[in-house]
Amino acid sequence: MGMNVQETIASPQVWHPQTAAEAWHLKQSLGTDSIYVSGGTLLRTQWEAGIAAMPKHFINLSSIRGLSEIRVGESGLIIGGQVKLQACRMNTMIQRYFPMLTEALRLTAAPSIRQLATLGGNIASSIGDSLPALLGYDAEVVWFNGIEEQLILLKDWLQIARNLHPERLLLRVQLPFQQREEADGLEPGHEELVHSKTKRFYAYHKVGRREAFTPSVVTVSISGILTEARIVKDIRIALGGGQMIPIRLEQLERELIGETVDTQTIRHAYGRVVQLYEPREDIFASSAYRQTTAANVIAAELWKIAAEA
Amino acid sequence: MLLNRVNSGGRWRIRPDGIGKVTGSLTYLTDMTAGSMLYGLVLRSEYPHASVISIQTDKAEKLPGVHAVLTYRDVPGLNAFGIAHPDQPVLCEDRVRYVGDALATVAAESIVIAQQALELIEVEYEVLGVLDDPERALHADAPLLHPKGNAMHRTTFTRGNVDEAFKQCAYIAEEIYYTPRQMHTYMETEGGLFVPEADGRLTVYSPTQHGFMDRMQLARILSVPQDHIRIISSPIGGSFGGKDELNVQPYGALLATKTGRAIKMHNSRQESVRAGLKRHPMRISMKTGVDEAGQLIAHRVSILADTGPYSTLGAEVLNFATEHVIGPYKYEHLDVEGISVFTNNGMSGEFRGFGGNQAIFALEGQMDRLAEQLGLSPWAFRKLNMRQSDDLGPFDQPIAMTEGAELVWSAIENSRLWQEQVRMKDRSAPKHSEPWIKTGIGAALTMHGAGLGVGIPDPAGGRLELAADGKIEAVFGYEEFGQGLLAALEQMLVEQFGFGASDIRMVIGDTDVVPDSGSTTASRATAMMWKSLQRMRKPFTDQLLKQASTILRCHPGELRIWEGGISLITEAQLLLTYEDLAKQTDVPIRSETSFSFPVSDTKRVGAHFMYTYSAVVVKVELNSLTGRVKVVEQQHAVAAGPVINPQGYLGQIEGGSSMALGFTLLEDAVMDKGHYMTRNLDTYLVPTIVDQQGIVEVEPIEHLPASDDYGPRGIGEVGSVTLAPAIAAAVRQASGKWVTKLPIDPAFLQEKPFFLTGE
Repeated sequence: MGMNVQETIASPQVWHPQTAAEAWHLKQSLGTDSIYVSGGTLLRTQWEAGIAAMPKHFINLSSIRGLSEIRVGESGLIIGGQVKLQACRMNTMIQRYFPMLTEALRLTAAPSIRQLATLGGNIASSIGDSLPALLGYDAEVVWFNGIEEQLILLKDWLQIARNLHPERLLLRVQLPFQQREEADGLEPGHEELVHSKTKRFYAYHKVGRREAFTPSVVTVSISGILTEARIVKDIRIALGGGQMIPIRLEQLERELIGETVDTQTIRHAYGRVVQLYEPREDIFASSAYRQTTAANVIAAELWKIAAEA
Repeated sequence: MLLNRVNSGGRWRIRPDGIGKVTGSLTYLTDMTAGSMLYGLVLRSEYPHASVISIQTDKAEKLPGVHAVLTYRDVPGLNAFGIAHPDQPVLCEDRVRYVGDALATVAAESIVIAQQALELIEVEYEVLGVLDDPERALHADAPLLHPKGNAMHRTTFTRGNVDEAFKQCAYIAEEIYYTPRQMHTYMETEGGLFVPEADGRLTVYSPTQHGFMDRMQLARILSVPQDHIRIISSPIGGSFGGKDELNVQPYGALLATKTGRAIKMHNSRQESVRAGLKRHPMRISMKTGVDEAGQLIAHRVSILADTGPYSTLGAEVLNFATEHVIGPYKYEHLDVEGISVFTNNGMSGEFRGFGGNQAIFALEGQMDRLAEQLGLSPWAFRKLNMRQSDDLGPFDQPIAMTEGAELVWSAIENSRLWQEQVRMKDRSAPKHSEPWIKTGIGAALTMHGAGLGVGIPDPAGGRLELAADGKIEAVFGYEEFGQGLLAALEQMLVEQFGFGASDIRMVIGDTDVVPDSGSTTASRATAMMWKSLQRMRKPFTDQLLKQASTILRCHPGELRIWEGGISLITEAQLLLTYEDLAKQTDVPIRSETSFSFPVSDTKRVGAHFMYTYSAVVVKVELNSLTGRVKVVEQQHAVAAGPVINPQGYLGQIEGGSSMALGFTLLEDAVMDKGHYMTRNLDTYLVPTIVDQQGIVEVEPIEHLPASDDYGPRGIGEVGSVTLAPAIAAAVRQASGKWVTKLPIDPAFLQEKPFFLTGE
């Protein structure tokens, strides 16, 4: 639509490396005039908005062999960085074992974009909607640094993401299988762990500016295990939204473990979310609105868990 | 009976332009190219307000591949445009007043070269203070944006003495309402192809809502006779009022004339946002009082509209808002004033609803507040104060009398949703499994004027002709911008004349061919086509039958119009095809009509004569955790006379309501110190299909008084008017909060979960 001047001027050269090492070398030699591109869906918006200039060289990561598959590894599910969001969303292993990720991807962008965009790109952006869900599953990410593959916990990588070299290349993400009993036939989100009389809970929420195809304002994942006596045995809470790099609220998680979920606990959690969550505000949503929203959503999830227990 | 596919039976037709649009095979005017065309771009102001010291173009001119660099010095005629009052410079000379102001325009062999040329143009500015607030622009010490001052237009309407009357009131509602700078967001951005012809004329292929108006304005700019210009203006990829005024046409026309080459122009979305029209942001203050019995006594209104840097139809929009803040209610005492103010913000102008949207949001808000103070049902309260069919119009002007107000009121009163509202007294009782989701139901009503109103030329007309190839040609000066004009015209020719769809050729949007039927605006085109066909039906049919009877050697009274040709009345038997009729007759068969849109007998400029009445009841779900509102059900009742095209009618109400949903919940072209903050559709958010998942039901009320021969009323705008106040009323029921500012800010409706509120 319209004559897109910037794009016509740039007319970049596209490179198609077959291996991660090739891609790395291309990035080394082409330097700042180049960029790794997977689906290119987020980059497009940045170029068009003038936030970033379109570089002269695109290094197309989708031609690298072996990065477009989902497979079961020794201790978890391994998802290649080039797997499209839509493929992740429809994957039955992910649906069954990592449903918060499925839900996050359902709420990400729009159908046509999910056919292009990759999970690797969503992660590497450091602000993608999938991140709070992945943080809730203790995801690990595997990077190529030019010499070797490096494995790092996603939550640790996110803390340093803004200071890393742009040559880094995301190969895959690993999602460890949770220790769980078979709980076939039970509703997702209400799976009772048969032997321990405990109950696993999880929820992912995205609050945006409209109902679909929207940048996030707040993203939340909350998951864990509750005993029959409504005592928190395990809990993970992750928050993101907007331009903020998502975080795990590990301090709050520690405070909640061993506590009974009652009004007092929920009130404590509510107050701590407001303290610990430091979203970035923009002209559309204030920091205070984002904090209240996150605290409200988390409190409501805890209330539901307690009510159902 | 609800309007839908099933109830419409055989009247639910496939649009003649549907396949091309659905498959993408249709060529829009902005898809067109010419062999040796050049690309045109416009250099726009860096600042919202500045003096222009100098514009140096020599470097740009020397760039290889550049064919023209034009500035104000190169405008041969009037260096200004504006439908009502031409005060917008085509190319600014000494001052820029908004970020869309044009300083130079370039034609080059490629877009890249044209862009480089723009970058080589050196403009020296002296930056001036930005007037970004209409209230501040009215201060005595504010710099003047135009010689006559910053008050672009003022309106007043008074009756009785409101000051005295308020003293008698038992209850008074006083509120200030704010509405956003909404963008039309048509899919096709502004553009076109501008072709200098061998005979010295200029053909302009560019979307507009009134080809003859563009022709007049371009002739004035180029300083050529109007018949030197041909405007081809349809099909259009959406307009909603936004392409009514000139946009890129002056630049394309100037460049084509200067270079002698075809020029292609097509705005990017960002340029469209920057230069294009938006809905007037308004601040509407209202004070309205009733007596103990709930009778309206006094109504005081003050409208402040931000019209941006230039006039376009800003004055007319304010006139419309002034009429509609009075609306379908009766008051003894009235004091309405409006002012539309020049600022250095974006251009405001014509937009579906035309000031009615802002007015009705405020007026209906007052009705709900007063009903609540009185402890009355908001719908019963409206009935108590609503106009009767023989009452004068809002400006005390004579209007076409109908029972529309009463009929749409009753339709809503009896609707399933309103009955649910009546039963839903206790909103606090949580029924939902997620008790922080709260529901509410609200309704609103309007009367919406059609046509341009008193004092503005409002021609109408068209032509029917049996063409040499045997096609029945229907020729109208209206435009197809997606609203279904062609579908409506085809349906009328089929249903009212008896032609088959394949017998018909519709010709629109070409000033060399069509008569001046007036603009395709103000909910008027379908009504005017209907009226034209009514006037032409007998003369045209008589001519067809008379010539056919001569050929068939029978009496015309034995014949009738049929699909494919002329048939006997007594049995459906094709006796003579239209093609044979055209071949065998040497008498031209042709009928033309020309008249004016009916106007009220009053001197009040802008007052309307024909109105559409419409009301809606909506159900919303408010998630109090996030403050976000979802509209889950809508029932519309529209009294607009006969339904011409069921699918088009439904589409107009659904589409209008979808725009209103955006206006209420999402859309605002945010500006900061005269610059747009929402420059593209990644930040300026319109509703998606998910935002519109709720059921939308439309009940058309076709009844008109027996003596009424004005036919169908307009439905193009009215669907966009009532939804906002209805949502606000539903939100009140759900949350206990009165919304005064659109779009609704979720933070305003957010609440701490109920289980954490008590200690």
